[in-house]
Amino acid sequence: MARRVFPNEEGPLDAPVFGGREFPNEEGPLERLEPEAGTATENATAAPLIGLTEEGAYQIKLDVFEGPLDLLLFLIKKKKVEIQDIPLALITREYLAYLQERERINLDREAEFLLMAAILIYIKSQILLPRETPIDPDIDPRKERPDRSGDYERVKVVSAVLRDKEEEQSTIWRRTALNAPLPEEDLDLIEVSLFDLAESFFAMMKRKQAAPQRVLKTKEISVADKTKEIVETLKERGFLDFLEYLDAQETLEEALVAFFCLLELIKARLVLAVQEQLFHTIKVWLRKEPAGEDA
Amino acid sequence: MDELKNILEALIFISVEPLTLEKIKEVLNDVPEEEILQALLNLGTELESAPRAIRLVQTGGGWVFMTKPAFDPPVRKLLQIERRKKLSPAALEALSAVAYHQPVTQTDIMTIRGVDSTHSLHTLLENKLIKISGRKDAPGRPLLYKTTEKFLTYFGLNSLEELPREEELKKILEEGNA
Repeated sequence: MARRVFPNEEGPLDAPVFGGREFPNEEGPLERLEPEAGTATENATAAPLIGLTEEGAYQIKLDVFEGPLDLLLFLIKKKKVEIQDIPLALITREYLAYLQERERINLDREAEFLLMAAILIYIKSQILLPRETPIDPDIDPRKERPDRSGDYERVKVVSAVLRDKEEEQSTIWRRTALNAPLPEEDLDLIEVSLFDLAESFFAMMKRKQAAPQRVLKTKEISVADKTKEIVETLKERGFLDFLEYLDAQETLEEALVAFFCLLELIKARLVLAVQEQLFHTIKVWLRKEPAGEDA
Repeated sequence: MDELKNILEALIFISVEPLTLEKIKEVLNDVPEEEILQALLNLGTELESAPRAIRLVQTGGGWVFMTKPAFDPPVRKLLQIERRKKLSPAALEALSAVAYHQPVTQTDIMTIRGVDSTHSLHTLLENKLIKISGRKDAPGRPLLYKTTEKFLTYFGLNSLEELPREEELKKILEEGNA
């Protein structure tokens, strides 16, 4: 194989990678990733830089390094491998060509590859940029980010501590634990009309709409499920604050469904919507006797 | 002295929320703080040692009466509560992460736990164990979360200081590894 020099955009800093070494094609577990005929230009003749192991993980094959990408990243951070020696542009091109010809991709694997490739490209771009002063060791992009794996261990310990406390707390009771009883007639409660509910709801919707929000995923919410959820919550807590509950819904759609469910429940006389005083929040109670005779 | 103790007992008895020292001082404006604290301590030990069903608990930044654990079954029967709903392990982990790193973004929690925590955070928000405390001054201005007062009372804590500290955690971890 002929010695290859990197394309100009890689800059003179890069040493030739293939430096005379042959990549044996018969290398067992590595399956060659065939770049698409159209996109493969000069690389087509070169041995592939990326291969797949039997387990389906990516392997990088270079003169200076051979192995998975995360190991490469690790070694670069430990400064055992010089980032300048890694032809990222070629690897990226080959990878993209490979992705293009795939009909199905393994999202987890690609995400992992992309993340590491992006970190590598970032590191390299920082190293290649001309600087007036040498890189401050504190902001050296190769520097290891603080290891957060210890954080998780700690979180697990704290979880266990909190679980014990929760257990302990669940056997002792204070007065607030008592649900306020279903309001009696003489409490002078105002049973609210549909208009009050709708008015509150739309005021909240407007507020919600004003707040910027992005919908990244849509979840199918059925009226039946939501109704069940509302009844469960009511059974557990005794009452719901109408607006607060709708406000806590993840999306507008979900809030709409919840609103609809509440209306249905009120209509079926399973729950009661009341205001303790004018202008107070509207509370929704579970009726003790479902659908009793009218007052 | 005994009179002060009785007054405090009455005040705590009628308070639904934990009665704070500030509130007590408002009512008893000419009694020095040390005397109040001493009386509370006496009241607490007296209730604890006596064959009574009630104990004095300092929680959520104030004092409140609570039933002793032995009376859990009858109380639950009265309240018609089968069993208190517990937080899921995932929610508990997310909550621990918030408690130790607050104010914290969803991404941070995800980094710590290594899994998506959207649902857990949502549950915690709805249970009012955490709240949104603002936005981080970083790209995307992500929301920041922190724990609430209810978080403290839910776990019977007075303040975040009562959570195990760094050294204690290290000790527990080392014991666990040994």
